[in-house]
Amino acid sequence: MVLEATMICIDNSEWMRNGDYIPSRFQAQSDAVNLICGAKTQANPENTVGILTMAGKGVRVLATPTSDLGKILACMHGLEMGGEANIAAGIQVAQLALKHRQNKHQQQRIIIFAGSPVKYDKKALETIGKKLKKNSVALDIVDFGEEDDEKPEKLEALLAAVNANDSSHIVHVPSSANALSDVLISTPVFTGDGEGGSGFVAAAAAAAASGGDTGFDFGVDPNIDPELALALRVSLEEERARQEAAAKRAAEETSRQEKGEEPSSNAEDATMEEHVNDAAPEDIKKATEEMVSGSGHSGGDVEMSEASAEDQELALALQMSMQEGTSDQSVVSKVLEDQAFVASVLASLPGVDPNDPSVKDLIASLQSQSEEQQKKNEDEQPKEDK
Amino acid sequence: MSGESASAIHRNQVDLVDFIDWSGVECLNQSTSHSVPNALKQGYREDDGLNLESDADEQLLIYIPFTQVIKLHSILIKGSEEEGPKTVKLYSNKEHMGFSNVNDFPPSDTVVLSPDNIKGKPVLLKYVKFQNVRSLTIFIEDNQSGSDITKVQKIALFGSTVETTDMKGLKKIEDHQH
Repeated sequence: MVLEATMICIDNSEWMRNGDYIPSRFQAQSDAVNLICGAKTQANPENTVGILTMAGKGVRVLATPTSDLGKILACMHGLEMGGEANIAAGIQVAQLALKHRQNKHQQQRIIIFAGSPVKYDKKALETIGKKLKKNSVALDIVDFGEEDDEKPEKLEALLAAVNANDSSHIVHVPSSANALSDVLISTPVFTGDGEGGSGFVAAAAAAAASGGDTGFDFGVDPNIDPELALALRVSLEEERARQEAAAKRAAEETSRQEKGEEPSSNAEDATMEEHVNDAAPEDIKKATEEMVSGSGHSGGDVEMSEASAEDQELALALQMSMQEGTSDQSVVSKVLEDQAFVASVLASLPGVDPNDPSVKDLIASLQSQSEEQQKKNEDEQPKEDK
Repeated sequence: MSGESASAIHRNQVDLVDFIDWSGVECLNQSTSHSVPNALKQGYREDDGLNLESDADEQLLIYIPFTQVIKLHSILIKGSEEEGPKTVKLYSNKEHMGFSNVNDFPPSDTVVLSPDNIKGKPVLLKYVKFQNVRSLTIFIEDNQSGSDITKVQKIALFGSTVETTDMKGLKKIEDHQH
């Protein structure tokens, strides 16, 4: 979450009337600008964004760096196209606007939409680039629109002159059926060197995609339930970290335990519960079902303890997952048999009293189920041995 | 004055490295692998192999805030014979300067480093201009040979502190019955 002040340089020259981007180059550009502003302010609430236009009668600053998204979107209205874009002047004015930002601790960044042909030569662009680097200003270039023979080269030269340890990027977007903003979403222009922005990115993907969960990691829309999305993401990451640690321990303990994965499932339970319990109860059913399909028996464990913590509706989810994970049932049942373990796990959950009668009933029912399945497994195993 | 020996530091003048507020130190146009702690920090600066180098051109702008108000007496800048700094301008109490406004104010003092100085002889400054220094900006304008990169091995500041309250040292007084 880098603290940043960004100036976006918009190309509103005559070349933007062309319709090779959907719906027109100018519209595609506006959409992209709106998305970028949103992403920047979401990544860090103290980030500021400003806008200026490079063509028209001359370079004009529409908004000085501000964190007020409404003001920025408003000034994008009623923009007229005309004239030629003056990239050099645009960058210089942007630099000046950034110099006079209110919070001097913000990193400086300029994002330039280069849609029209570049009339400056390489040398001039390189000098500009060096000056930006000297004043530690990062530059992102979006090369779209007019495809000139030398344009990509010139812009790459400009990038090379500015780039200080990879904080500056260039994106070449050829005209195609995809919207400009969609293409930009996956680039470092949006994600800012790979950090932040991913929650926003997922939400934006939802808006772009025509429905369904195709864009999301967890099948949950971060816009509708951001806490849940965050909780799931964090728990998956922790699970991975613990799995690696546990795999090492498991290798050591295979001689002692029948299934070396048991200690790992114990560890996973603890983390899973802490995180998943923070989210709303209803959505957890959906979410944990997804996780079960992804993470096998450990997901099943989460549902167990979790259902005992919440209420009746989750017992349903529990039963469903029990049926799904039949191959790993032996592990699960062993875990449940160890009542001391279950009790200790429940005690660690906030707001759950293991001595609560309803909780005890639920555990008892779980154990009877697990015993049945264990017998089934024992029958199967002798058959497999033969 | 011939009475002063080459490396003598006046009495009561201490090395101000302990009073530098490291969280606020900034340097414009430094190269990422050769950064300003190489020239300022105790230990790094003694190593002649570790330099502060400039990046896009030969100028450097270093901003050093202090934890206390100090009086600056002299400065020692060490560098190589060719690529060490030559013209150095010092600005006191000016925050967040950039290369563009560096020429807008007159510097508190300007130092032209001779080959002697670059080897390690401290330069006396106009003490009267540096009586009340909260932050120092060092602008290195060019280097000894005019090359594209300026390399600085060591920057040491000497002076004394003014008695200022160190807010972190303030301890809560026990509540007496009023």
